Amino acid sequence: MRAPDMRVPDMRVPDMIGLGIDAVLALAIVWLALQTVRSRDLFKAMLMFVVFGLLMSLAWARLHAPDLALAEAAIGAGITGALLLVTWRRLQADGHEPADSEHPPLPLWLRLPTAGGASMLVASIGWVALELPATPGTAGELAWQRIDDIGVSNPVTAVLLGFRAYDTLLEMAVVLAAWLGARAVAIELRPGALPGPAYAEVPLVGALLSLVVPISILVAVYLLQAGGNAPGGAFQGGAVLAAGGVLLCLTGRLEAAAQTSGLERVLLVLGLVVFSLAGLLVMASGGAMLALPGLWAIYLVETALLLSIAITLVLLFAAAPGLRRAS
Amino acid sequence: MNDALNPSALIYLLTAAAVFGIGLHGLLQSRQILRQLLTINLMGSGIFLLLITLGGGSDGPPDPVPQAMVLTGIVIAVSATGFALALLLRWHELSDSTELDAVADADAVQDAHDE
Repeated sequence: MRAPDMRVPDMRVPDMIGLGIDAVLALAIVWLALQTVRSRDLFKAMLMFVVFGLLMSLAWARLHAPDLALAEAAIGAGITGALLLVTWRRLQADGHEPADSEHPPLPLWLRLPTAGGASMLVASIGWVALELPATPGTAGELAWQRIDDIGVSNPVTAVLLGFRAYDTLLEMAVVLAAWLGARAVAIELRPGALPGPAYAEVPLVGALLSLVVPISILVAVYLLQAGGNAPGGAFQGGAVLAAGGVLLCLTGRLEAAAQTSGLERVLLVLGLVVFSLAGLLVMASGGAMLALPGLWAIYLVETALLLSIAITLVLLFAAAPGLRRAS
Repeated sequence: MNDALNPSALIYLLTAAAVFGIGLHGLLQSRQILRQLLTINLMGSGIFLLLITLGGGSDGPPDPVPQAMVLTGIVIAVSATGFALALLLRWHELSDSTELDAVADADAVQDAHDE
Protein backbone atom coordinates (compact mmCIF):
# COMPACT_ATOMS: atom_id res chain seq x y z
CA MET A 1 0.00 0.00 0.00
CA ARG A 2 1.35 3.38 -0.91
CA ALA A 3 1.69 5.71 2.03
CA PRO A 4 -0.27 8.83 1.09
CA ASP A 5 1.85 11.15 3.22
CA MET A 6 4.93 10.34 1.15
CA ARG A 7 3.53 12.02 -1.91
CA VAL A 8 4.71 15.44 -2.78
CA PRO A 9 2.02 18.07 -2.36
CA ASP A 10 1.05 19.95 -5.46
CA MET A 11 3.94 22.31 -6.06
CA ARG A 12 2.60 24.16 -9.07
CA VAL A 13 1.29 26.90 -6.83
CA PRO A 14 4.47 28.33 -5.33
CA ASP A 15 4.38 28.08 -1.60
CA MET A 16 5.96 31.37 -0.59
CA ILE A 17 6.63 30.47 3.04
CA GLY A 18 8.19 27.18 2.00
CA LEU A 19 10.30 28.94 -0.58
CA GLY A 20 11.48 31.42 2.02
CA ILE A 21 12.49 28.59 4.34
CA ASP A 22 14.32 26.88 1.49
CA ALA A 23 16.17 30.06 0.58
CA VAL A 24 17.29 30.75 4.16
CA LEU A 25 18.29 27.12 4.64
CA ALA A 26 20.26 27.09 1.39
CA LEU A 27 22.08 30.30 2.30
CA ALA A 28 22.92 28.94 5.75
CA ILE A 29 24.22 25.68 4.25
CA VAL A 30 26.46 27.52 1.81
CA TRP A 31 27.70 29.86 4.55
CA LEU A 32 28.52 26.93 6.86
CA ALA A 33 30.34 25.14 4.05
CA LEU A 34 32.36 28.30 3.46
CA GLN A 35 33.16 28.56 7.16
CA THR A 36 34.25 24.91 7.24
CA VAL A 37 36.73 25.69 4.49
CA ARG A 38 37.76 29.22 5.40
CA SER A 39 37.88 29.22 9.19
CA ARG A 40 41.48 29.56 10.35
CA ASP A 41 40.71 27.60 13.49
CA LEU A 42 40.48 23.91 12.61
CA PHE A 43 38.41 23.07 15.69
CA LYS A 44 35.89 25.73 14.72
CA ALA A 45 35.85 24.30 11.20
CA MET A 46 34.90 20.89 12.57
CA LEU A 47 32.06 22.38 14.62
CA MET A 48 30.87 24.26 11.54
CA PHE A 49 30.87 20.97 9.66
CA VAL A 50 28.71 19.31 12.33
CA VAL A 51 26.20 22.18 12.16
CA PHE A 52 26.36 21.89 8.37
CA GLY A 53 25.29 18.25 8.75
CA LEU A 54 22.35 19.24 10.96
CA LEU A 55 21.13 21.81 8.43
CA MET A 56 21.60 19.26 5.65
CA SER A 57 19.20 17.00 7.52
CA LEU A 58 16.66 19.85 7.52
CA ALA A 59 17.22 20.20 3.78
CA TRP A 60 16.53 16.47 3.32
CA ALA A 61 13.29 16.91 5.23
CA ARG A 62 12.34 19.81 2.95
CA LEU A 63 13.14 17.64 -0.08
CA HIS A 64 10.66 14.96 1.06
CA ALA A 65 13.42 12.56 2.04
CA PRO A 66 12.72 11.88 5.73
CA ASP A 67 14.83 8.71 5.71
CA LEU A 68 17.81 10.78 4.68
CA ALA A 69 17.01 13.44 7.26
CA LEU A 70 17.18 10.81 10.00
CA ALA A 71 20.35 9.27 8.59
CA GLU A 72 22.08 12.61 8.16
CA ALA A 73 21.25 13.74 11.70
CA ALA A 74 22.37 10.45 13.26
CA ILE A 75 25.29 9.55 11.00
CA GLY A 76 26.35 12.58 8.99
CA ALA A 77 26.25 15.05 11.85
CA GLY A 78 26.31 12.79 14.92
CA ILE A 79 28.74 9.94 14.37
CA THR A 80 30.99 11.78 11.90
CA GLY A 81 31.24 14.67 14.34
CA ALA A 82 32.10 12.31 17.19
CA LEU A 83 34.78 10.62 15.05
CA LEU A 84 36.31 13.98 14.10
CA LEU A 85 36.30 15.33 17.63
CA VAL A 86 37.74 12.19 19.21
CA THR A 87 40.56 12.22 16.64
CA TRP A 88 41.20 15.85 17.48
CA ARG A 89 41.42 14.95 21.14
CA ARG A 90 43.83 12.09 20.45
CA LEU A 91 46.10 14.38 18.46
CA GLN A 92 45.88 16.94 21.23
CA ALA A 93 46.75 14.31 23.85
CA ASP A 94 49.92 13.68 21.86
CA GLY A 95 50.80 17.31 22.44
CA HIS A 96 50.11 18.20 18.85
CA GLU A 97 47.25 20.53 18.15
CA PRO A 98 46.60 20.35 14.45
CA ALA A 99 46.48 23.75 12.88
CA ASP A 100 46.82 25.01 9.40
CA SER A 101 50.34 25.96 8.40
CA GLU A 102 51.56 29.46 9.06
CA HIS A 103 52.20 29.80 5.38
CA PRO A 104 49.41 29.40 2.90
CA PRO A 105 49.98 26.06 1.19
CA LEU A 106 49.63 27.51 -2.26
CA PRO A 107 51.16 30.67 -3.68
CA LEU A 108 48.72 33.35 -4.68
CA TRP A 109 49.18 32.82 -8.42
CA LEU A 110 48.00 29.24 -7.92
CA ARG A 111 45.25 30.04 -5.46
CA LEU A 112 43.39 32.35 -7.81
CA PRO A 113 43.21 29.83 -10.68
CA THR A 114 42.16 27.17 -8.16
CA ALA A 115 39.32 29.30 -6.94
CA GLY A 116 38.46 30.26 -10.52
CA GLY A 117 38.49 26.65 -11.66
CA ALA A 118 36.32 25.54 -8.75
CA SER A 119 33.85 28.35 -9.49
CA MET A 120 33.72 27.41 -13.16
CA LEU A 121 33.08 23.79 -12.21
CA VAL A 122 30.23 24.92 -9.95
CA ALA A 123 28.77 27.02 -12.75
CA SER A 124 28.97 24.14 -15.21
CA ILE A 125 27.42 21.65 -12.76
CA GLY A 126 24.60 24.10 -12.10
CA TRP A 127 24.12 24.80 -15.79
CA VAL A 128 24.13 21.15 -16.85
CA ALA A 129 21.77 20.23 -14.03
CA LEU A 130 19.37 22.97 -15.04
CA GLU A 131 19.43 21.92 -18.67
CA LEU A 132 18.90 18.23 -17.95
CA PRO A 133 15.57 17.13 -19.40
CA ALA A 134 13.18 15.34 -17.07
CA THR A 135 13.59 11.65 -17.75
CA PRO A 136 10.40 9.59 -17.80
CA GLY A 137 10.30 5.95 -16.86
CA THR A 138 13.01 6.01 -14.22
CA ALA A 139 13.86 3.14 -11.92
CA GLY A 140 12.00 4.98 -9.20
CA GLU A 141 8.70 4.76 -11.07
CA LEU A 142 9.21 1.05 -11.58
CA ALA A 143 9.92 0.72 -7.88
CA TRP A 144 6.66 2.51 -7.05
CA GLN A 145 4.72 0.24 -9.41
CA ARG A 146 6.09 -2.99 -7.96
CA ILE A 147 6.34 -1.96 -4.32
CA ASP A 148 3.56 -4.35 -3.30
CA ASP A 149 5.81 -7.28 -4.28
CA ILE A 150 8.27 -6.43 -1.53
CA GLY A 151 5.80 -6.20 1.32
CA VAL A 152 6.99 -2.98 2.91
CA SER A 153 5.40 0.36 2.18
CA ASN A 154 8.44 2.57 2.82
CA PRO A 155 9.79 2.85 -0.74
CA VAL A 156 13.36 3.50 0.41
CA THR A 157 13.42 0.30 2.48
CA ALA A 158 11.89 -1.54 -0.46
CA VAL A 159 14.70 -0.33 -2.72
CA LEU A 160 17.43 -1.01 -0.15
CA LEU A 161 16.38 -4.57 0.69
CA GLY A 162 14.35 -5.50 -2.36
CA PHE A 163 15.07 -3.90 -5.68
CA ARG A 164 18.69 -3.02 -5.10
CA ALA A 165 19.73 -5.45 -2.39
CA TYR A 166 23.13 -5.88 -4.03
CA ASP A 167 23.99 -2.28 -3.20
CA THR A 168 23.14 -2.79 0.43
CA LEU A 169 25.04 -6.08 0.66
CA LEU A 170 28.15 -4.54 -0.87
CA GLU A 171 27.75 -1.49 1.33
CA MET A 172 28.06 -3.78 4.34
CA ALA A 173 31.22 -5.23 2.77
CA VAL A 174 32.62 -1.70 2.41
CA VAL A 175 31.78 -0.88 6.03
CA LEU A 176 33.52 -4.06 7.20
CA ALA A 177 36.51 -3.33 4.95
CA ALA A 178 36.76 0.18 6.39
CA TRP A 179 36.89 -1.21 9.90
CA LEU A 180 39.45 -3.85 8.94
CA GLY A 181 41.57 -1.13 7.35
CA ALA A 182 41.30 1.07 10.42
CA ARG A 183 42.20 -1.93 12.59
CA ALA A 184 45.22 -2.74 10.43
CA VAL A 185 46.74 0.73 10.63
CA ALA A 186 45.70 1.46 14.21
CA ILE A 187 48.51 2.50 16.48
CA GLU A 188 49.30 0.17 19.33
CA LEU A 189 46.87 1.22 21.98
CA ARG A 190 47.37 0.59 25.62
CA PRO A 191 44.35 -1.34 26.86
CA GLY A 192 42.44 0.71 29.37
CA ALA A 193 40.51 3.90 29.55
CA LEU A 194 39.79 5.65 26.27
CA PRO A 195 40.75 9.28 25.96
CA GLY A 196 37.80 11.34 26.99
CA PRO A 197 36.54 13.77 29.55
CA ALA A 198 36.68 12.47 33.09
CA TYR A 199 32.97 12.93 33.61
CA ALA A 200 32.65 9.41 34.93
CA GLU A 201 33.05 10.67 38.48
CA VAL A 202 30.19 13.14 38.41
CA PRO A 203 27.27 11.44 40.22
CA LEU A 204 24.67 12.59 37.72
CA VAL A 205 26.41 10.77 34.87
CA GLY A 206 25.31 7.36 36.12
CA ALA A 207 21.70 8.47 36.35
CA LEU A 208 21.89 10.07 32.90
CA LEU A 209 23.38 6.94 31.35
CA SER A 210 20.82 4.66 32.93
CA LEU A 211 18.21 6.78 31.17
CA VAL A 212 19.83 7.65 27.84
CA VAL A 213 21.37 4.29 26.92
CA PRO A 214 18.14 2.28 27.28
CA ILE A 215 16.35 5.01 25.34
CA SER A 216 18.91 4.78 22.54
CA ILE A 217 18.29 1.02 22.36
CA LEU A 218 14.54 1.61 22.35
CA VAL A 219 14.78 4.24 19.60
CA ALA A 220 17.05 1.97 17.55
CA VAL A 221 14.56 -0.89 17.74
CA TYR A 222 11.70 1.49 16.97
CA LEU A 223 13.49 2.87 13.91
CA LEU A 224 14.16 -0.66 12.71
CA GLN A 225 10.56 -1.69 13.19
CA ALA A 226 9.18 1.53 11.71
CA GLY A 227 11.47 1.26 8.68
CA GLY A 228 8.99 -0.98 6.90
CA ASN A 229 6.23 1.55 6.51
CA ALA A 230 7.59 4.88 7.81
CA PRO A 231 10.88 6.72 7.74
CA GLY A 232 13.57 4.73 9.50
CA GLY A 233 15.48 1.53 8.99
CA ALA A 234 18.57 -0.42 9.89
CA PHE A 235 21.08 2.32 9.17
CA GLN A 236 19.39 5.04 11.17
CA GLY A 237 18.71 2.59 13.99
CA GLY A 238 22.29 1.34 13.92
CA ALA A 239 23.61 4.88 14.18
CA VAL A 240 21.38 5.65 17.17
CA LEU A 241 22.50 2.45 18.89
CA ALA A 242 26.11 3.38 18.11
CA ALA A 243 25.52 6.77 19.72
CA GLY A 244 24.61 4.95 22.94
CA GLY A 245 27.87 2.98 22.68
CA VAL A 246 29.86 6.16 22.03
CA LEU A 247 28.33 7.66 25.16
CA LEU A 248 29.41 4.62 27.19
CA CYS A 249 32.96 5.03 25.83
CA LEU A 250 33.02 8.75 26.59
CA THR A 251 31.92 8.29 30.16
CA GLY A 252 34.45 5.55 30.80
CA ARG A 253 31.92 2.73 31.16
CA LEU A 254 33.54 0.91 28.23
CA GLU A 255 37.28 0.81 27.77
CA ALA A 256 39.70 -0.45 25.15
CA ALA A 257 40.55 -4.13 25.15
CA ALA A 258 43.69 -5.59 23.60
CA GLN A 259 41.78 -8.09 21.47
CA THR A 260 38.56 -8.21 19.52
CA SER A 261 36.33 -10.54 21.48
CA GLY A 262 34.46 -13.42 19.88
CA LEU A 263 31.14 -11.67 20.33
CA GLU A 264 32.45 -8.53 18.64
CA ARG A 265 33.76 -10.56 15.72
CA VAL A 266 30.39 -12.21 15.28
CA LEU A 267 28.57 -8.89 15.42
CA LEU A 268 30.98 -7.26 12.94
CA VAL A 269 30.29 -9.82 10.22
CA LEU A 270 26.70 -10.62 11.22
CA GLY A 271 25.07 -8.27 8.70
CA LEU A 272 27.14 -9.50 5.80
CA VAL A 273 26.76 -13.19 6.73
CA VAL A 274 23.03 -13.14 7.43
CA PHE A 275 22.31 -11.11 4.30
CA SER A 276 24.44 -13.39 2.10
CA LEU A 277 23.00 -16.58 3.60
CA ALA A 278 19.42 -15.35 3.21
CA GLY A 279 20.18 -14.35 -0.37
CA LEU A 280 21.74 -17.72 -1.19
CA LEU A 281 19.06 -19.81 0.53
CA VAL A 282 16.48 -18.15 -1.69
CA MET A 283 18.44 -19.42 -4.67
CA ALA A 284 18.30 -22.95 -3.32
CA SER A 285 14.51 -22.80 -3.40
CA GLY A 286 14.48 -21.52 -6.95
CA GLY A 287 14.24 -17.76 -6.41
CA ALA A 288 16.57 -15.05 -7.62
CA MET A 289 19.61 -14.33 -5.49
CA LEU A 290 18.93 -11.84 -2.67
CA ALA A 291 15.19 -11.85 -3.41
CA LEU A 292 14.22 -12.01 0.24
CA PRO A 293 11.26 -14.38 0.64
CA GLY A 294 9.09 -12.24 2.86
CA LEU A 295 8.65 -9.59 5.47
CA TRP A 296 10.21 -11.76 8.20
CA ALA A 297 13.36 -12.16 6.13
CA ILE A 298 13.59 -8.42 5.56
CA TYR A 299 13.35 -7.76 9.30
CA LEU A 300 15.83 -10.54 10.07
CA VAL A 301 18.37 -9.09 7.66
CA GLU A 302 17.72 -5.57 8.90
CA THR A 303 18.30 -6.61 12.50
CA ALA A 304 21.64 -8.14 11.54
CA LEU A 305 22.57 -5.02 9.56
CA LEU A 306 21.66 -2.79 12.50
CA LEU A 307 23.86 -4.71 14.93
CA SER A 308 26.81 -4.77 12.52
CA ILE A 309 26.55 -1.06 11.73
CA ALA A 310 26.34 -0.17 15.40
CA ILE A 311 29.33 -2.23 16.53
CA THR A 312 31.43 -1.07 13.57
CA LEU A 313 30.76 2.59 14.28
CA VAL A 314 31.48 2.22 18.00
CA LEU A 315 34.74 0.36 17.32
CA LEU A 316 35.76 2.97 14.74
CA PHE A 317 35.08 5.63 17.35
CA ALA A 318 37.09 3.82 20.02
CA ALA A 319 39.93 3.15 17.52
CA ALA A 320 40.59 0.04 19.59
CA PRO A 321 40.62 -3.64 18.64
CA GLY A 322 37.78 -4.28 21.03
CA LEU A 323 35.89 -2.97 24.02
CA ARG A 324 35.36 -4.31 27.47
CA ARG A 325 33.45 -3.24 30.50
CA ALA A 326 35.50 -0.88 32.61
CA SER A 327 36.78 -2.48 35.78
CA MET B 1 15.54 25.06 -18.89
CA ASN B 2 14.10 22.03 -17.24
CA ASP B 3 10.44 22.90 -16.74
CA ALA B 4 9.82 20.01 -14.38
CA LEU B 5 11.92 21.63 -11.66
CA ASN B 6 9.98 23.56 -9.08
CA PRO B 7 11.55 26.70 -7.58
CA SER B 8 12.56 25.04 -4.35
CA ALA B 9 14.34 22.23 -6.21
CA LEU B 10 16.14 24.94 -8.16
CA ILE B 11 17.38 26.50 -4.93
CA TYR B 12 18.77 23.19 -3.67
CA LEU B 13 20.31 22.42 -7.04
CA LEU B 14 22.35 25.60 -6.92
CA THR B 15 23.19 24.91 -3.26
CA ALA B 16 24.49 21.48 -4.24
CA ALA B 17 26.74 22.96 -6.91
CA ALA B 18 28.00 25.64 -4.52
CA VAL B 19 28.75 23.18 -1.71
CA PHE B 20 30.63 20.89 -4.08
CA GLY B 21 32.69 23.78 -5.40
CA ILE B 22 33.45 25.12 -1.93
CA GLY B 23 34.58 21.65 -0.89
CA LEU B 24 36.77 21.23 -3.95
CA HIS B 25 38.33 24.63 -3.46
CA GLY B 26 39.05 23.84 0.19
CA LEU B 27 40.54 20.47 -0.70
CA LEU B 28 42.96 22.04 -3.16
CA GLN B 29 43.88 24.80 -0.73
CA SER B 30 44.73 22.83 2.38
CA ARG B 31 47.43 20.37 3.32
CA GLN B 32 45.97 19.80 6.76
CA ILE B 33 44.58 16.25 6.61
CA LEU B 34 41.67 16.90 9.00
CA ARG B 35 40.60 19.87 6.91
CA GLN B 36 40.92 17.83 3.73
CA LEU B 37 38.62 15.20 5.21
CA LEU B 38 36.07 17.90 6.04
CA THR B 39 36.20 19.23 2.49
CA ILE B 40 35.87 15.77 0.92
CA ASN B 41 32.80 15.24 3.09
CA LEU B 42 31.46 18.61 1.89
CA MET B 43 31.93 17.53 -1.72
CA GLY B 44 30.10 14.30 -0.94
CA SER B 45 27.19 16.21 0.58
CA GLY B 46 27.02 18.38 -2.53
CA ILE B 47 26.78 15.31 -4.74
CA PHE B 48 24.13 13.74 -2.50
CA LEU B 49 22.07 16.91 -2.67
CA LEU B 50 22.40 16.97 -6.45
CA LEU B 51 21.24 13.35 -6.77
CA ILE B 52 18.19 13.90 -4.61
CA THR B 53 17.22 17.21 -6.18
CA LEU B 54 17.43 15.82 -9.70
CA GLY B 55 15.53 12.71 -8.63
CA GLY B 56 12.76 14.42 -6.71
CA GLY B 57 12.52 17.89 -8.16
CA SER B 58 9.68 17.12 -10.53
CA ASP B 59 6.10 16.64 -9.51
CA GLY B 60 4.89 13.24 -8.44
CA PRO B 61 6.00 10.90 -5.68
CA PRO B 62 9.65 11.22 -4.63
CA ASP B 63 11.99 8.84 -6.41
CA PRO B 64 13.11 6.25 -3.83
CA VAL B 65 16.10 4.98 -5.83
CA PRO B 66 18.36 8.03 -5.42
CA GLN B 67 17.25 8.22 -1.79
CA ALA B 68 18.41 4.66 -1.19
CA MET B 69 21.67 5.38 -3.03
CA VAL B 70 22.34 8.47 -0.94
CA LEU B 71 21.50 6.57 2.25
CA THR B 72 24.08 3.99 1.23
CA GLY B 73 26.46 6.83 0.42
CA ILE B 74 26.06 8.47 3.82
CA VAL B 75 26.93 5.21 5.61
CA ILE B 76 29.91 4.59 3.33
CA ALA B 77 31.09 8.17 3.82
CA VAL B 78 31.17 7.78 7.59
CA SER B 79 33.03 4.45 7.35
CA ALA B 80 35.57 5.89 4.94
CA THR B 81 36.01 8.93 7.19
CA GLY B 82 36.61 6.61 10.15
CA PHE B 83 39.23 4.71 8.17
CA ALA B 84 40.87 7.94 7.03
CA LEU B 85 41.01 9.21 10.60
CA ALA B 86 42.71 5.97 11.68
CA LEU B 87 45.22 6.53 8.87
CA LEU B 88 45.71 10.08 10.10
CA LEU B 89 46.51 8.91 13.63
CA ARG B 90 48.99 6.41 12.25
CA TRP B 91 50.50 9.07 10.01
CA HIS B 92 50.85 11.38 12.95
CA GLU B 93 52.63 8.69 14.90
CA LEU B 94 55.08 8.03 12.04
CA SER B 95 55.79 11.57 10.89
CA ASP B 96 54.73 13.69 13.87
CA SER B 97 52.79 15.78 11.42
CA THR B 98 49.15 16.16 10.48
CA GLU B 99 49.88 17.62 7.10
CA LEU B 100 50.75 16.28 3.73
CA ASP B 101 53.94 17.54 2.16
CA ALA B 102 55.41 15.12 -0.33
CA VAL B 103 59.16 15.51 0.19
CA ALA B 104 59.25 16.06 3.93
CA ASP B 105 56.76 13.23 4.46
CA ALA B 106 58.75 10.64 2.54
CA ASP B 107 61.77 11.51 4.67
CA ALA B 108 59.80 11.27 7.88
CA VAL B 109 58.48 7.81 7.05
CA GLN B 110 61.96 6.69 6.06
CA ASP B 111 63.29 7.93 9.40
CA ALA B 112 60.55 6.15 11.27
CA HIS B 113 61.44 2.91 9.49
CA ASP B 114 65.13 3.33 10.12
CA GLU B 115 64.71 3.74 13.84
